[in-house]
Amino acid sequence: METLAFQGLVGLSVAMYLWLLAAGLTIVFGVLGVLNFAHGSLFMLGAYFAFTFYGLWGVNFWLAIALSLIGVGVVGYLMERLFLRHIYHLDHAFQLLLTFGFILIFDDAVKMIWGGVAKIPAMPGFFEGTLSAFGRPFPIYNLFIIGAGLLVAIVLWLLFEKTWWGKMVRASASDREMASAIGVNIPTIFTGVFVFGAMLGALGGALGTPVRVVAPGIGSAMIIQAFIITVIGGLGNLKGAFVGAVIVGVLSAYGILLFPVFELFLIFLIMAVVLMVKPQGLFGG
Amino acid sequence: MKKTLAILSLIVLLFLLPLFAGKYILYMTIHIMLLSLFSLGFNLLFGYTGLLSFGQAGFYAAGAYGCAKILLAFPSLLVGIIGGVAVAGVASFLLGILCIRHTRIYFSMLTLSFGMMIFSLAWKWRDMTGGDDGLVGIPRAPLEIPGLIRLNMTSMENYYYVVLVFSLLAIFLFHRIVHSPMGLTFQGIRDSETRTACVGISVRNYRLISFTIAGMYAGLAGALLPPLESTVTPPVAHWSYSAEPVLATLLGGIYTFPGPIVGAFLFYVLKDIIVRFTQYWLICLGAIVLVLVLGFRGGVVSIFYGKGGQG
Amino acid sequence: MSERKKISRRAFLKAAAAVGIGGIASGLRGVAEAAPQKEKAPAKAKPKKKILGVDVIKIGGQGVTSGAHADYGWQMIAGSTLAIEEINAKGGILGSKLELKFMDEELKPAVAVKNTRYLATEWGAHFLFGVDSSGSSMAVGPVLPEIDRICMFTHASTHRLTEELVAAKGVKQIFRMSVPVYQESILSSLIFKDFPNIKRWAGIHCDYEYGYSTWALFKETLKKYRPDVEFVAIAWAPFWTMDFSSHIAAVMAANPDAIHATPWAGEGVMLLRQALMLGVFDKIQAWFQCMGGSVDILEGIANEVAAGKFKDKLWATARYIHNYPDTPQNKAFVANFRKRWNRLPNYSAENSYSAIYAFKAAVEKTRSLKTSDLIKALEGMEIMTPGGKRFFRPEDHQAVYNVPGGRVIKDPNYPIPIVGGDLKVIPAKDYYRHPPFTPIAMGK
Repeated sequence: METLAFQGLVGLSVAMYLWLLAAGLTIVFGVLGVLNFAHGSLFMLGAYFAFTFYGLWGVNFWLAIALSLIGVGVVGYLMERLFLRHIYHLDHAFQLLLTFGFILIFDDAVKMIWGGVAKIPAMPGFFEGTLSAFGRPFPIYNLFIIGAGLLVAIVLWLLFEKTWWGKMVRASASDREMASAIGVNIPTIFTGVFVFGAMLGALGGALGTPVRVVAPGIGSAMIIQAFIITVIGGLGNLKGAFVGAVIVGVLSAYGILLFPVFELFLIFLIMAVVLMVKPQGLFGG
Repeated sequence: MKKTLAILSLIVLLFLLPLFAGKYILYMTIHIMLLSLFSLGFNLLFGYTGLLSFGQAGFYAAGAYGCAKILLAFPSLLVGIIGGVAVAGVASFLLGILCIRHTRIYFSMLTLSFGMMIFSLAWKWRDMTGGDDGLVGIPRAPLEIPGLIRLNMTSMENYYYVVLVFSLLAIFLFHRIVHSPMGLTFQGIRDSETRTACVGISVRNYRLISFTIAGMYAGLAGALLPPLESTVTPPVAHWSYSAEPVLATLLGGIYTFPGPIVGAFLFYVLKDIIVRFTQYWLICLGAIVLVLVLGFRGGVVSIFYGKGGQG
Repeated sequence: MSERKKISRRAFLKAAAAVGIGGIASGLRGVAEAAPQKEKAPAKAKPKKKILGVDVIKIGGQGVTSGAHADYGWQMIAGSTLAIEEINAKGGILGSKLELKFMDEELKPAVAVKNTRYLATEWGAHFLFGVDSSGSSMAVGPVLPEIDRICMFTHASTHRLTEELVAAKGVKQIFRMSVPVYQESILSSLIFKDFPNIKRWAGIHCDYEYGYSTWALFKETLKKYRPDVEFVAIAWAPFWTMDFSSHIAAVMAANPDAIHATPWAGEGVMLLRQALMLGVFDKIQAWFQCMGGSVDILEGIANEVAAGKFKDKLWATARYIHNYPDTPQNKAFVANFRKRWNRLPNYSAENSYSAIYAFKAAVEKTRSLKTSDLIKALEGMEIMTPGGKRFFRPEDHQAVYNVPGGRVIKDPNYPIPIVGGDLKVIPAKDYYRHPPFTPIAMGK
């Protein structure tokens, strides 16, 4: 029993990275209607920027995270302004294709700038140590990640439900023309939302830098998981993304514990089943 | 008349290729032909029927593994190839039933997930597929029809001719398909689902047919692989491999018949050239994709006969 | 999507012309290249006064140059380049200089095969080496007879390459410079059979050929010496695993005394780091990191080793470690490598360096570049390399040499930790498998 609970806790910490990844993807899809294939690459860039600031230049850990968010925010801004903006009116297929082109570009760009070898920074000192959970040592870092993920969830909820900016964004999402008619500056909102989504993805990557692998190609590996999560939760639904991430993270952890052979197949099976039975996802409508 | 002459001279050129080209050129040309078939099938779904599939590699893999298993047990080339196509056809029919009920984003993601399920199956089911080592030692079996002919395939040139003949036949068949009433129906579904349905056509059935044919073309391309490489490994089912026909078709021209073929050729030639100058060919390919999507959605072919359009 | 295009005759014509011109162009390229269709030997210059008949001897290599395992490709390039520079400085091999071309295998067998064909038939390589992944090696092996080239494998470690392809199927063009999974599986069993308190073993292993064969062979061997041992848990980690917390937590739930692990390179470092975070090294008695003696892992865990976090419980081996053997040749190699590249050499560097020298020795012996002659020269060859004396046994073309295993410790002589504590040197002939080879049951 305690084994299961502990494994679930570990799975929850893994799920939080997935949540941060899926949150940005979901927000961008919900508001702009664009499924950004390259979102995983933005996650990866967040990790690389954090490595550069914190691991190479010795910047304070928290400052490094903030700087990497800004860095990826700029990248997102350029992506939206210069490229995405021109294809909103096109079929979804071309949006997928364009963002797929960005995956190729980012994967090579990362190799060109940082080299092909995996990046391994030092571990921030104040995170070492464990707490006892269910009779076993649980890393403080993982606890920190769970806390960060929950904090982001609360902040996002407050942002979209309670603030004036959030209301504008939601209005733009549900009816673009109407919102524009009453004076909402759609292009600006769109750029802002895309940058916001990019920064969320980058946060997930940056927070993982000291303890997870940072190498070219991790972006493409992550995007598939992000798709699975948003499908399970419902494309464009933030609550669904959170629940979906928790499901995928925790189920993977149990899969490794209980069914070591089937894990890979299982995730895709779940995605296919949800798509066929309830394509809007658990919370979509 | 001029068109036929041009095509005929191209075909003659391809038949004469082994006489003046090296082994590696033949090897690459075979790969270009395989990608052409793969992309043609993909484009039937995308350009003609309006469905973007990111999982075609799953059917390519079905054809490849199917042919490989057959050749390992019963080394006869024709049986292997036809068997591989059959396996891919069955797989695409069954999965098609599940996929074509959805469209657009959901369809794309569903095909992505099925393709990756086939990938993980290929990786994990060691007893059947050899796992990540794949199937090895697949013979380049002789082409035989009992009582009629028996052609040894050990030389690359002979196998090249087999692939060439299969490709030409498949391309010819594809031409017949898209110019038939069925082909027009596909395009009707792509342009307006509701209108087509109003005319009394079962949109679902036609989508399923398109999906199955696309799967069989992918399967044919896949089935022609094992005798060439003597190995089949799981990455042929991965979604990044599904992206190849997508890119090739986008490059060549989505809305045209020769687009996928032109695109397959350009894809290989571009990569080959770029790789001689820099190892960073992905970024070049990505940049090309951006340019195409932003300005030349009709691909290279559209550049030749007028701007592709706005969309 | 409302775009529809009529296929006009002119359009088709133009497209066909484009394809046709391209086809002619590529055909002509084939003619222009110095390699016509009947290629028995690679690009030959007109006969000169060179003994071997060519100005330049071409050596083609491949390995992983991007992703979590990219350091191994880098090390291969570094080692082989050093060898080639040294040889060229002394006049080359019998007067002909060496040229290297190295390609990325991307950890994909299909790419490895394509590279092999390109290097041999298009670029004109006389000799091939490298290959990181076991899956790629199994795909490349069968292609070698067709292109008539030797490939000296310098990393890929599956026993099947030599046991099945060479010994059983007779693919004589395969040679392996690096020690296969015998090292991490059998050597570790021989080390740990002498620890009576370690009875419960758990494994965290790569979810592909390398992991399966290592774990299977380890279990089979240890059980022979210690029937009292139990294998209590196993977790499989595929390529691209970024986070091992779930895997570590899963196996620790079974309360093992020791852990046997294969994830390598960048993944290996993160695995160890996460294990430290989960307090694993407080509970277990030993952790055997199979390729932990590789320089990239040692660099990655340097701080933790210096701070004593592993509590002396981390054991490792590799396919060569720079601090063994203590010979002048090895010391010179390490010093030259550090001077040239500002880093310590890992095993894929030393293996690639030695591969070039083995090739040189074979060519000098036979005074020929023909593959069949080189095979005869390499079979049964004994050669002194930085990693010690190596013997290419004729039955499976596997190089036999000693590599120790031991604890990972800090050493004042080196900037990074080394495999140096309780160093166990066991003669390779005592733990390498011999024919007749019985297949290893790789059940999960």
